[in-house]
Amino acid sequence: MERNIKKKGLDVLAGKIDNKLLTNLNSCVRCGLCADSCMFFKALNEPKYIPARKVALVSSVYRRYFTLSGKIAPVLVNAKELDDHAAEEMVDLLFGACTMCGRCVKHCSIGVDIPYVVRKGREMLAAMDMVPDTLQATVDSALTTGNNMGIPEEEFTGTIQWMEEELIDEMGDEKARIPLNEMHAEIFYTLNPREPKFFPLSISAMAKIFYAANENWTLSSKFYDVTNYGFFNGNRAEAGKIAGNLYDEIHRLRGKRMVLGECGHGSRANRWDGPNYLGKEYDFDMITAVELISGYIKQGRIRLDKSLNKEVVTIHDPCNLVRNGGLLEEIRHIVSASCDSYTEMAPFGNENFCCGGGGGLLAMSEYNDRRIKVGEIKAEQIRKTGAKVVVTPCHNCVDQLSQLNHTFKLGVKIKTIAELVADALVIRKNN
Amino acid sequence: MKWYIIIALAALAISVAMLLIQLIKLISAGKPKDLSKGSGNISAGVAYSYTKAMSPMEKESAYLHLPTYAAGMIYHAGIFASLLLFLLFISSLFEIPQGISIIAGAILVISGLCGLAILFKRFINAGLRSLSGADDYISNFLTTLAIFATAAFLFFEQAEVLYYMIVSVLLLWIPLGKTRHLLYFFFARYHLGYFFGKRGTWPPKSLK
Ligand code: SF4
Ligand code: SF4
Repeated sequence: MERNIKKKGLDVLAGKIDNKLLTNLNSCVRCGLCADSCMFFKALNEPKYIPARKVALVSSVYRRYFTLSGKIAPVLVNAKELDDHAAEEMVDLLFGACTMCGRCVKHCSIGVDIPYVVRKGREMLAAMDMVPDTLQATVDSALTTGNNMGIPEEEFTGTIQWMEEELIDEMGDEKARIPLNEMHAEIFYTLNPREPKFFPLSISAMAKIFYAANENWTLSSKFYDVTNYGFFNGNRAEAGKIAGNLYDEIHRLRGKRMVLGECGHGSRANRWDGPNYLGKEYDFDMITAVELISGYIKQGRIRLDKSLNKEVVTIHDPCNLVRNGGLLEEIRHIVSASCDSYTEMAPFGNENFCCGGGGGLLAMSEYNDRRIKVGEIKAEQIRKTGAKVVVTPCHNCVDQLSQLNHTFKLGVKIKTIAELVADALVIRKNN
Repeated sequence: MKWYIIIALAALAISVAMLLIQLIKLISAGKPKDLSKGSGNISAGVAYSYTKAMSPMEKESAYLHLPTYAAGMIYHAGIFASLLLFLLFISSLFEIPQGISIIAGAILVISGLCGLAILFKRFINAGLRSLSGADDYISNFLTTLAIFATAAFLFFEQAEVLYYMIVSVLLLWIPLGKTRHLLYFFFARYHLGYFFGKRGTWPPKSLK
């Protein structure tokens, strides 16, 4: 490995590292008891997929270069060189075999924050210019066009206008709108670009909810993308630029509250990491679509008729919204108010298994086979519930679940929360 | 003062000093700056992290591996008891009555056997072997040996020199090997509680 490349990787661990990282680099005792908590190990059954192995890839390099014992007696203290072989293994395991779902964390005998270390490892690889091209292309697209699918503004505007006409027809009301670029709106709403590109009906589902709640809201025609693949590629500067798009746009439009569309990692990257990427506290309120809809139901701003959703529903908990976002109750509040009956997967909630498409894996086609194989755990969970509808407030999960549905012939419908709620809406006359 | 007690005292001083240096480094590194607005209760999350989250019912690492978990608990209890006894012996605060010595020694033998079982598992389990390096074997071996040495010293006074030598080596190793998790463990639990507490995941909400 060239010296300057190695130096760039090591620089990520050099200098002032905080005590959370220091702690997590020094805590794992390699008991191996986290193995069964990780879907990669469970599905693929190879030792290299044990979460501790992913931690060791980073911590052993840290010890080798930044501790006295690692410099003097590397073999004794499990310290390893950062060489080509180590870097390739890091790419394969940290990008290709960890969705940073965090399931292993709560089950670890010590409490090592494994995905936190994985993220540091990804930062090292990003500094060494070793991010998989497929993932980097998604980030580049967001950086150059404002959305990760590179949808031109005219195409987006056209789609929204078309959805608005449909909404007016369906509601029979000229006031039913999908507003674009309106100033001073109460709500600045964001989308996963998969919605305008592939699932425009999920936009109209949310628009219907806004209409029913008589909400004052807007979308931006340029910066609406809630996703942030910079959260995955390990490049904090790029993640900051992408988060900055929404930050600047809500200020430009003088919106009051940002509502993060149904996207797990996007919600996490904006809500929990955005302020840290940009180095400032946000001066506006920010909530997820799940919290917003749950609030509408609690406040009586929308009325639902459960009997309009007769089929049995099960919930897939997106890791970034539930385990890593605390929305366990809110999701259930909405689902139980929107359908006749729902059943839980086993395990569910904070214990859920990732769908297999997180961590940027959906963008990295080189790991497609692995991703689908790992997803078999989720497929079996769904099958065992006997449900006919799987609801999940994350478009990335929807994508992976749809592929699992097809591959494992589950015969279920996959819906977002907004779609489930829209199907149960009772629209008042003269809303 | 006997030469081997001087060595043990020196080892203890070095060990404590090295752990202290790591502690100071940790504290001075500071927490990562987190500018996001929380939606949970950090203190409750941290308290939960140190208490109920540690329960064997909450962790797959415990309830899916009960024999290993039980052996690990007994092993760790033996380690702490051995270190406590070492402080008692070296400070000559009081003599341990013979009856208690024999009972404590017997319990420590059980704890040492648990340590051996864990070491054995590391040798025979392919997954664990692949994770392991010299540190893992040295840490496990030295700690187990120190537990047995403590038991031996409780049974026979003649084991005194060997006992102090073995414990000295362990003391020197603690800050170097993975045994240093005795310090980092508490920080790991704190950070975990902070993370899940701030996001409202911990303490878990009961679903109505
Ligand atoms: S359970 Fe925790 S301490 Fe044990 S090997 Fe896994 S990450 Fe390391
Ligand atoms: S974060 Fe998820 S995918 Fe990554 S090691 Fe842990 S359990 Fe496995």
